[in-house]
Amino acid sequence: MIKNNGKKWWVPYLWLLPSIILISVFVVFPILIVFRLSFSEISKAGVVGGFAGFKNYIDAVHLPAFRTVMINTFWWVISVVGLSTLLGFIIAMVMNQKFRGRKIARSILIFPWATSLVIQASVWNYIIKYEYGSLNSVLLNLGIIKNAINWRSSYQIEFIWECAVGIFVTIPFVTFCVLSGLQSIDESLYESARVDGAGFWNRLFSITLPLVRPSLSVSTVLNIIYVFNSFPIIYTMTKGAPANKTDTMITYLYMLNFYDRKKGPANALSVIGFLILCLCSGIYMITVMRKEDEA
Amino acid sequence: MKGNAQSTAAGKRYFFLLIIGILLACLIMSLPLYTVTVGIFTKKSSNTFVGDEKYQEVLAEVEEVEKQYRDQGMEVEISEDVTVRTNSKGEETSLVAFTISQTMNKNVWSFLSSGMPSARVLYIMLFCMAAAVILAFAGCAGTMNTAVKELPGRCRRLRSLSCFFLLIDMLLVPVFILMNNYLFWRKTSLYQADLVTEGRDEWYGILDSFLFQGRMGEEAGNALKNLNVSHSPLLWVLLLCFGIALAGCAGLRFGALERPFLRFLLYLFVITICVITLYPYYVMLITAFRSNSEALDMYFLHLLPTKWVWKNLSDIIERGVPQFLANSLMIAGGATGLAMLCGIPAAFAMARMNFLGKKFFLGFVIMSQMFSPVVLLIGISQLMSTLGLNDNIWGLIFVNAAFNQAFAIWLLRGTFISISPEMEQAARIDGCSTIGSLIRILLPMAAPGIVTTLIFVFINAWNEYTISTVLITTASKKPITVGITQFSSFNMIEWQYLFAASLLATIPVVILFMFIEKHLTSGLTSGGVKG
Repeated sequence: MIKNNGKKWWVPYLWLLPSIILISVFVVFPILIVFRLSFSEISKAGVVGGFAGFKNYIDAVHLPAFRTVMINTFWWVISVVGLSTLLGFIIAMVMNQKFRGRKIARSILIFPWATSLVIQASVWNYIIKYEYGSLNSVLLNLGIIKNAINWRSSYQIEFIWECAVGIFVTIPFVTFCVLSGLQSIDESLYESARVDGAGFWNRLFSITLPLVRPSLSVSTVLNIIYVFNSFPIIYTMTKGAPANKTDTMITYLYMLNFYDRKKGPANALSVIGFLILCLCSGIYMITVMRKEDEA
Repeated sequence: MKGNAQSTAAGKRYFFLLIIGILLACLIMSLPLYTVTVGIFTKKSSNTFVGDEKYQEVLAEVEEVEKQYRDQGMEVEISEDVTVRTNSKGEETSLVAFTISQTMNKNVWSFLSSGMPSARVLYIMLFCMAAAVILAFAGCAGTMNTAVKELPGRCRRLRSLSCFFLLIDMLLVPVFILMNNYLFWRKTSLYQADLVTEGRDEWYGILDSFLFQGRMGEEAGNALKNLNVSHSPLLWVLLLCFGIALAGCAGLRFGALERPFLRFLLYLFVITICVITLYPYYVMLITAFRSNSEALDMYFLHLLPTKWVWKNLSDIIERGVPQFLANSLMIAGGATGLAMLCGIPAAFAMARMNFLGKKFFLGFVIMSQMFSPVVLLIGISQLMSTLGLNDNIWGLIFVNAAFNQAFAIWLLRGTFISISPEMEQAARIDGCSTIGSLIRILLPMAAPGIVTTLIFVFINAWNEYTISTVLITTASKKPITVGITQFSSFNMIEWQYLFAASLLATIPVVILFMFIEKHLTSGLTSGGVKG
């Protein structure tokens, strides 16, 4: 560390200043705006009136679709994060083996991460179309199915597809996080465990999992936040149709604010989402800080 | 030499495995996999009821014909089809149709000699199979008693090559089945429905030679009308057989490995994962070059477009895609520049200086990273209209830079800390200023980390969609991610344009991502942050 001998105390803050300004204006300010709006009366045209107390929140909770949307959001986050973590972990374990073409496989695996979510969602949207979708045509021509299957016959199934696409695009991130944890594990640990006669499961639970846990928890918490905030997949594939049955909170508040012009409840929902995220990030901060202290 | 003996025994085992796999594959190809039923003679008799005089008469006639066919040595069968209708006068009439149909079981070998287009794939498969066997024999000649580790390089190479050929075989099985089904099932049904006239005679000729050894001639066209093909799912078992052979081959080549079967499973798993991952990209690629009618065709099944429609590209260029790409480039480039400009000093201060509230600032940075702009969508759009940056590229640059700040600082700080400060201190003693030592010493040394951060921020900004949809309304200012949505309106989606534009948007980013792939794992460990 460079000592600040003879230097003014404010020099470090000067270095931080641009960054602080940038974050304050474009991250902190919107937060404050959303908070303020959620407690104000807002007309349909967006004219902000006086203080309204908790009226907007009460309105938001009483919206007809509120329950469905909350349940959807819950399932969306749980299923996407849970399954992608599980699958990503398995894939990372495989990718950590030494085999030929490992580099190529890893480069391929990174594709979904590098692609914009809108594009991914559009492609999957095309693949599972009933009339001309690629999946039907491949299966038909392979002789696996005899008649075209309607892959999106009901909104529940469409929601499951959305979750599947979500899982598909989230896996690479988990895989690479876990992989970075796996690569830092000393090979000799396994050697000595093998000498002691530990089997595969034994090694997995007593060596791999504890050592990968920090990167796994970081990736999980970050995924919760990113999946919660994910907008393009659902917006591109169903736009929340029919009647908000496939909406999650984010797409719902977008629709509420920019289409239905119910700005008050939309802001209230925004704050609710923000608070949920705060909870998650609190957990995340504790994890990271603890890791930082260990290091 | 215990190890040697073991390895020898294993070598023999794998050799047998290889042979068994190949033999099974040959066996399956000789089994009657195609069951074809063709109606070669039809006699319809109206006003006939089952069992009456007219019925008996016609039946006798048909049986006569059947006998003629049997005399020719064909396996034929009579089937009857009764249709009962009530006519306009309210009387019941009945139509009896007798069909003499010939059932033929054909194996893959006779398919091969027919000149069917998909037989070409089969030729390649056979060639690969033969090459694999020959190479395996050559690679094993006189070396069965040698441990794999001690094999001369020549033998290993031969066995590798053999393995490679078998792998091709394995991958070709689905291709073959696909083309086969496409040809038989689709083409036949199209011809039966009189939808296609072009190339009809050729198809008759091919079918004639496959089904009747060319005896039918002119009549093949009529026969085709009543053709009914089914093929056995046994074809898929070929895959398994080649798999067994491949496992054997892999065992011969990598005999030193502990459990080759597991290794085989590993490869299978990796290949499956890669195929699933690449599938959307493949769909995107082929659809981008298909014409609109082909893009909406369910039975389209070629591995590549039948006709590459390059016009799609010029069409999307006319519809403003270059402008979108330029906008994206500006937004992503500007955001990256801004994020680095603010991030590098902050990261430097965090890595090299001591000050009050350092931990607080770190927490502040991490916190800011938690909030993806989406949940604050309304707030941001409100802020932008206050600042007058609504519908302005600069607004997007600022937002993207701000929301990627955390990642940039975090990653750069990790890089800076990993570089020892001694060099800078030396430079400082030589009279260099803090800024000078940062630019001249630290930045060049931290180049890999900086490039990784740079690319990562760039990609995030390039792929950003939600904020852009909200902030940008003018078509000429849209970035590519928003721009492509103009090809999909409510009632019609022009898939080929959508995917052609998507392709242009994806390729550069994927290439960039591959560059930083190596650094990404280490970056994630030190940073533990997703951008």
